[in-house]
Amino acid sequence: MVEFVSGISVVCFAASYAVAFACEASRLVFRSGVRGAAMVAFAAAGLVAHTLFLAWRAAHEPAVPLSSPFDWYLLAAWVLAGGSLWRTIANPRTPVGLFMLPIVLGLIGAAQLSSRAPFPQSPATQIWGAVHGSFNLAASVAVAVTAIAGLMWLIQAGRLARKQAPLGGLRLPSLERLAHTTGRMPAVAAWLAAAGFVSGIVLNAVNRQRGLLETVPWNDPVVLRMAAVVLWLAAAAATTRATSRRPDGPRTAAWLSLVSLAVLTASILWGLFGATRHGVPPTAPAAQREAAP
Amino acid sequence: MTLAFVGGTHRTVPLPLRERLAFSAEQAAEALVRFKERFPGREGVLLSTCNRVEFYAAGERTADPPPTDELVSFLAECRGIDAQLLKPVLTADRDEAVVRHLFSVAAGLDSMVLGEPQIVAQVKQAWSLAQESRTAGPLTGEMFQAALRTAKRVATETAIGRERLSIPSVAVADFARGVFERFDDKRVLLIGAGKMAAETLRYLREAGACDVVVVNRTADRAGSLADRLGGRAGRIEDLATELAAADLVVSTTGATEPVVAEELFARVEPLRAGRPLVVLDLAVPRDFDPRIGRRPGVWLYSVDDLGAACEANRRSRQREMPAAVAIVDEETRRFMGDLHHRSTVPVIERLRAGWSETGDAELERLFRRLPQLDEAARAEIRQAFDRYAAKLLHSPLASLRSESRAGPPHGLLDALKRLFDLKD
Repeated sequence: MVEFVSGISVVCFAASYAVAFACEASRLVFRSGVRGAAMVAFAAAGLVAHTLFLAWRAAHEPAVPLSSPFDWYLLAAWVLAGGSLWRTIANPRTPVGLFMLPIVLGLIGAAQLSSRAPFPQSPATQIWGAVHGSFNLAASVAVAVTAIAGLMWLIQAGRLARKQAPLGGLRLPSLERLAHTTGRMPAVAAWLAAAGFVSGIVLNAVNRQRGLLETVPWNDPVVLRMAAVVLWLAAAAATTRATSRRPDGPRTAAWLSLVSLAVLTASILWGLFGATRHGVPPTAPAAQREAAP
Repeated sequence: MTLAFVGGTHRTVPLPLRERLAFSAEQAAEALVRFKERFPGREGVLLSTCNRVEFYAAGERTADPPPTDELVSFLAECRGIDAQLLKPVLTADRDEAVVRHLFSVAAGLDSMVLGEPQIVAQVKQAWSLAQESRTAGPLTGEMFQAALRTAKRVATETAIGRERLSIPSVAVADFARGVFERFDDKRVLLIGAGKMAAETLRYLREAGACDVVVVNRTADRAGSLADRLGGRAGRIEDLATELAAADLVVSTTGATEPVVAEELFARVEPLRAGRPLVVLDLAVPRDFDPRIGRRPGVWLYSVDDLGAACEANRRSRQREMPAAVAIVDEETRRFMGDLHHRSTVPVIERLRAGWSETGDAELERLFRRLPQLDEAARAEIRQAFDRYAAKLLHSPLASLRSESRAGPPHGLLDALKRLFDLKD
């Protein structure tokens, strides 16, 4: 058993999710009686492998699952994959996986490109590090979920505006339900991102006090991109709220949710390929590159 | 030629022209009176629904049904439309094709939603109106009775009628449900008190709608419908207020002008606080100005807009079509056989009458020569003569009936006339 679990790689669950996504996408092409079961089976297999992989790392690596960018991305992907599977089982006719699994695969791809080395931690910083990572993870998931709801809203609204019957394999939730998500989640995402940012400031102060990590300066790319994300999410939440009582409010919210996801994706890419002092030990050269969420 | 048909449906006539061509019940009654005056001795039935306007004409012997051009001109005159506009979009048929078409229509096989149940009631109404207007007759009577029988067979013997997907159900299931997650917290406004409104509300009730307001030009009718549907009646004068409070509007009036113009809606819109509005405008002519549908938050569907959804249903039900078409074919053959057999009745009657006269004369002669026969014996002999005549007639009549199934038995009729010297 131990040998089996230790042999699970990222490719195992990524491949399972990819097959589940292919099954989901095939809804648009042809009807099949076994496709639903196959899709759930592959998604569940991927989630089990994903869970075992994270559990193995938690048991054999220090201070995971949120202590390295690699683990952070994988945990975000795990949350979304779990949500996707749950929604698929709860509403088999709604192709949630079609929208969520690409994001899951994207996060797994980002994990593969990011550093697996854990941030240096002490008991004093471990809590603040976990809080910082958890808030950022929750904010990212909230942004992803809102964007998926926004995209579904636009597709459903487009279908209704074109007066088309629902596609057999693409029965989306009602506009009312989707608008409920796109109308409320931006504020949640903004608050979570703000909490993540503030907890990061606290963590930075603790690190500076204890000399565990290099102090991250205010003009560090990580600080700037996180600030930009927080500001954007706050602006998007405010705009969504301000337009909520207008007839075109749901459409505005849907588009804003997609832009929010684009902003977050740009921020992640910047983190993957940009220079930063975020999570760098004091002895490391200043130019050391570390991917950070 | 005994049967003729001219008409157009949602497939052949564009909505703007169909709106102009559509007949209200009063207009249909007037048209039938006009038909009777213009084409005396002919039978006529006018079927006008949201999706079709069709005129069925029939005539026998010396009064054949009017030619197609005259029927088109007649419809055009009735609705004040240039006949040249109608000619390219209306279709026409004669005799067996008319029967097959009517049977298909009544069975819902020609409907926007395959197998929809409303059309049966509409065919019945059209027939009743023709009876009231005295333009119905034996030919159209038999044809419409047979059409209703065919519709019943198709509904019960095939799965095409098992899940009755009508325009209202498609409107609710595919469109209203696409906008709203639930209906128990929504205000439903019915404008008009037609059957389509009640049918639509039935689906909305199944979906959970419980707050219903009925507004109608006739307050009494709105009240009775509201009582029947468990809603409340509103005043037509308060239409703007009701629109502002509504989440879903079902409009099925028979008004010839839009009931809700864009200007009226523009006044109502600010009062709605951005809430989405679904409008199921099932009336022809349309009750809502189509420009209202371009406003954000308004999802406006006219009868034609439901076409795509109906086509999807049609495809899913398509697999039942062969069985339904087989019933229509069988009933058409049976009806045409009976119709052709009708043409043999005068010849058969003359034949029977001729044989009866000859038999009676022979019996009289026999009874005069045998005066000792009592009444019982005479009755026995009379019955034996009748049985003999009936047996002799059985074979030719059976041949006539059999021949009628394939078409008018002109050859056999001519032979009978010549063999037995039967005069017209």
